[in-house]
Amino acid sequence: MAAVSRPRNRVLTSLVVAVAAVLAACGSGSNTPSNHVLVVDKSFDMKTADPQREFEVSGGIVAKALYSTLLTFKGSDSATPVPLVASSYTASSDAKTFTFKLRTDIKFSDGTPLTSADVVFSFNRLINIKGNPSFLLSGIAVSAPDASTVVLTSSTPNPAVPFIIPNPALGIVNSKVVKAHGGTDQPGADKSDTAEAFLNTTSEGSGPYTLKSFSTTSEVDLTANPNYFGSKPFYNTVVIRNIQAPTQLIDIQKGTNEIAIDLSSDQAGTLSGNTSLQVKASPGPNVFFLFANDNPKISKITPNKHFQNAIRYSLDYASYVQLAGAGAIQTPGVVPSMFLGALTPADNAQFDLTKAKAELAASGISNPTVNLGFPSDFTLNGISFSTLAQKVQANLQAAGITVNLTGSPISTALADYRAGTEQLGLWLWGPDYPDPNDYLVFLPGQLVGLRAGWAAGADPSLEALGVQASSSTENTARGKLFQQIQRQLNTDGPFFPLIQPGQVVVATKGVTGADYNPTWTIDVAGAGG
Amino acid sequence: MPGWQLGLLSRPFVRFLGRRLAALVLLGIGITFVAFVLTELVPGDPAAANLGQRAIADPAAVQAFREHYGLDKPLPVQYAVYLEHLVTGDLGQSEQSHRPVRSDLSEFVPATAELAVTSILIAFVLGISLGILSAVRRNRLTDQVLRVISLGGISMPTFWLALVALYVFFFKLGWVPGSGRLDPGVLPAPHVTGLYTIDALLAGQFDVFVSAAQHLILPAGVLAAYNVGLLTRFTRSAVLEVINNDYVQAARAKGLPERTVVLRHVLRAALPPIITVGGLAFANVMTGTVLVESIFGWPGIGQYAFHSATTLDLPAIMGVSLFVAVVYIVVNFLVDILYGVVDPRIRVA
Repeated sequence: MAAVSRPRNRVLTSLVVAVAAVLAACGSGSNTPSNHVLVVDKSFDMKTADPQREFEVSGGIVAKALYSTLLTFKGSDSATPVPLVASSYTASSDAKTFTFKLRTDIKFSDGTPLTSADVVFSFNRLINIKGNPSFLLSGIAVSAPDASTVVLTSSTPNPAVPFIIPNPALGIVNSKVVKAHGGTDQPGADKSDTAEAFLNTTSEGSGPYTLKSFSTTSEVDLTANPNYFGSKPFYNTVVIRNIQAPTQLIDIQKGTNEIAIDLSSDQAGTLSGNTSLQVKASPGPNVFFLFANDNPKISKITPNKHFQNAIRYSLDYASYVQLAGAGAIQTPGVVPSMFLGALTPADNAQFDLTKAKAELAASGISNPTVNLGFPSDFTLNGISFSTLAQKVQANLQAAGITVNLTGSPISTALADYRAGTEQLGLWLWGPDYPDPNDYLVFLPGQLVGLRAGWAAGADPSLEALGVQASSSTENTARGKLFQQIQRQLNTDGPFFPLIQPGQVVVATKGVTGADYNPTWTIDVAGAGG
Repeated sequence: MPGWQLGLLSRPFVRFLGRRLAALVLLGIGITFVAFVLTELVPGDPAAANLGQRAIADPAAVQAFREHYGLDKPLPVQYAVYLEHLVTGDLGQSEQSHRPVRSDLSEFVPATAELAVTSILIAFVLGISLGILSAVRRNRLTDQVLRVISLGGISMPTFWLALVALYVFFFKLGWVPGSGRLDPGVLPAPHVTGLYTIDALLAGQFDVFVSAAQHLILPAGVLAAYNVGLLTRFTRSAVLEVINNDYVQAARAKGLPERTVVLRHVLRAALPPIITVGGLAFANVMTGTVLVESIFGWPGIGQYAFHSATTLDLPAIMGVSLFVAVVYIVVNFLVDILYGVVDPRIRVA
């Protein structure tokens, strides 16, 4: 029997060896894409390709490539909105009315001309879907006096509108086609709009690319839009893959992708000697901050202003910057360094342990013990909040403040943070749009202010400044007002801005234009070879 | 008809089958209940986990989210509605993907199945072969080396092994591709089974098949490492228990070649404990996929389960739990059947 089975086994063995040889001969891991395929590695937070529903980093990259907006930013700039679908725009002196004249030569990818009706439909759909990005047009009415004019009317002065409009969530969809597939811009769209599934299979925009395939978990494939009104993108095909950072690091060195987006400063540091790669590390727009709850019902200790000053002086800011790595800076205020109204390094808080101990003594509180809440499983820009929290604990311990680390997974920590029940909190604020108005949330009675127990009326002069800044229409004056607000926040407020971590983008040597922009992360159409 | 087939079709077997199917339904309901209660006990809010920092502060957006996913109803009602929909095969809509959970599962399960089945095949072939070799070479150098290797397979953390394998075999040696199911820009063959290799063969797209097969090698190998170690050790132990039994000696005395003795007489007697471990191997694969899929960018059920858990996506958590429960029950059922096939004494009992 054994003698009979031997030849059969040999055949089987030969077959296995042959299959392995064929697979190996058919290429290996070095499947370098052609010059006209751009492979971007990104750790996905993708939920949808519907522009009016997406508000995630991955979704922003995709929507930016598929849909055009009235205005845009150039490259990494986020300070000067420039026309895209609009040929020009004007703002009224009270910053309540914005009038956009549209180009008349723009067509959707199916050849249909883009008109003001499509803009009105897209914007109203965004508002009425009541999704994540709906707040962008909160309090704004949209109208179209004629086929090439769109007017946005804000109920309150809103000088941030031109900075909001470039957001990919305000991408313009082909209203006729989207309506035909269940889309609606009417009130109640949160229940009646059913176009999302359709927009996850087909793009109905006028952007440089069209959607070839879409998956929220594996990859998104884009192909150049033949009807695009702008310059033809260099890469005919773009593949955005869901890859975790450690694998991105290996892939980019191997050359299987052109751009890696999620590498931490430490990971990027390991590429410093690699001449086939370009590493761009610059301060990112996220601001990491600590707060002491101002609500006496949450803590008898943390609202004490001397105690808050003790915290302010006890933080060794330079060590946080060092921990965050390349590109990171100490943030002097809550507005990031690249936005209008940002403070300069001259306003940086200073580490002074002697002053910290003196402030603690002045507080009249002996041997204070407080709890520090933070998302224990959360890492952003390569920085673990658990590591940061331990550093805060050590810093405050040196000043005589005992800190209990009460971190929890982000899904549960968020609930405590948003309910305003944390005594000390370690969190971050990422910009929703690149305008300082987005940072008024730190004032008393506002979104983040309330999370720190800072109720409306707690600081009337600061709140009055906030109202003035939010309605000011002249940018130089706005910038100064926001600087004044932040200086006052730094002395009177319960917030302690720590760092802006570095934002790292790694690209292969030949790729140009892989610039980070806070509004959409990477514009794949801007990449060249 | 062979005896073992008659045994399988007997009335006790049909009763056994019926009991198992009833258990499947009861366990399924139990699993949904436990998953539902545990998820509700977590002190978090699905709206907070899924809505952005601005939207969560907008009562209209929060209300719209709660209404859309039925979270505005009392808990018992939510569970009753879930069960009612479950009867019709409706697993609800995922809060993270905005798609029906059934659609998500139909996309992710084949990806994991392709990976898991390949991994299990590697584990069984290698594990049992090495275990037998180790036993017949007991206490010799081959045995010592294999024992160290199998211990290594069991001891090494999967995530570490995955990163090392990726670095060595993809980055340094370039033998196999790294992450994903296909090379960038290569589209899968038309969906038939969802298994890219099979679909590519069915469509006659050999280049897609090659790409899919190449991409399977590394993650499946890493996922198999633990089970190879486990099966090697159990097979060695099981074979050693029977290798010197009288009937084995008798077979040798009859002049049968050693290979025939081992494969036909020793291995068959040693198979029941190996089959038991084989069932456990499926469990190891299901847990291992979470890490392996994450590192290799493999869009399977493991990644889906992880994201569901971290975003408190209740319908997806329930869907994944049900799927995993069904897999366990089916695997255990098959293990029980296999016992009967390899050992008539168990079948009689």
